[in-house]
Amino acid sequence: MEELGLLKKLEKVKAPPDFEQKVMAQVSLRKRNMRQKRTAFRLSLTGAFASLLAIFVLLNVFVLKKKAPLGVADGKKDIAAASEKAPAMSGQMIPVIETLDYSTEVRSRSYEPQTIYLLEQVSDTTSKEIKY
Amino acid sequence: MRMDEQELIRQVQEGDEVAFGQIVMTYKDRIVNYLYQFTGDYQKAVELAQETFIRVYFKANQYRPVAPLSSWIYAIASNLAKTEMKKTRRIPTVSLDDIVAHEADEKAYTEDPADCGLVKNLREALNSLHPRYRIPIILKDIEGFSQEEIAQILKKPVGTIKARISRGRSLLRKKLEKALAGGRVSS
Repeated sequence: MEELGLLKKLEKVKAPPDFEQKVMAQVSLRKRNMRQKRTAFRLSLTGAFASLLAIFVLLNVFVLKKKAPLGVADGKKDIAAASEKAPAMSGQMIPVIETLDYSTEVRSRSYEPQTIYLLEQVSDTTSKEIKY
Repeated sequence: MRMDEQELIRQVQEGDEVAFGQIVMTYKDRIVNYLYQFTGDYQKAVELAQETFIRVYFKANQYRPVAPLSSWIYAIASNLAKTEMKKTRRIPTVSLDDIVAHEADEKAYTEDPADCGLVKNLREALNSLHPRYRIPIILKDIEGFSQEEIAQILKKPVGTIKARISRGRSLLRKKLEKALAGGRVSS
């Protein structure tokens, strides 16, 4: 075990004089880096949410809003298309105006006799429901 | 002393940098020396020791007062050193600047420069040991921890630590005998 006793005689080294300052500087640096990383993470998270929200809003405004009244839009389109065709055809069409006399069709109610119908139940044995 | 350390680490958990500074002051030399014995590279040891204390600060909330603070700090240092060794084994590169800086620093901060042949051979023999044996031997024979404390640091059963120390010492003796007999220490 003599040689093992020599282990204690092995050269011993000490930390350099500025060791503590270096460690403290490293600690401060890492703290700052961690703060920056945390801030960057928060900002990126906020940015991601904001961009998602913006995309959602833009989709709603420009895409979904246009698509929602699809039938009406198509109908309008058809009407527009028809109105576009109409002037083109108007040169070939001849407008026909026919006069109609509705005086013979409509009778005044004042000439008819006034009639009042009284409806009452005839028998108790039959159904109580009133028959007209 | 134990109570003081517990109070210090409690303050560090609340973000007190002054208390953290006191912990660094208390352990810096021991940790740098431990890591130097482990890696054999002063620059690397200083870097790892810095990283150890930075982790102590940022992971202070993970500390549980079931073990002494020193065991926890040594455990962090050991894990860092092991990870670093695995990395360097994968990428075996040495910067020329590191060599120059290492030599300069080693001369500047060595307490007891023992240059005799035996100690040099012993250093080589120790460095050639597998970390499995090297760490318990350094902690036991250089840092002076008990087997129970080493078991706490390395999170292994005491029996395993005893066996590793015994086996490591035996390997170290063999390597040293071989080196002294004339051959160089082989890993």
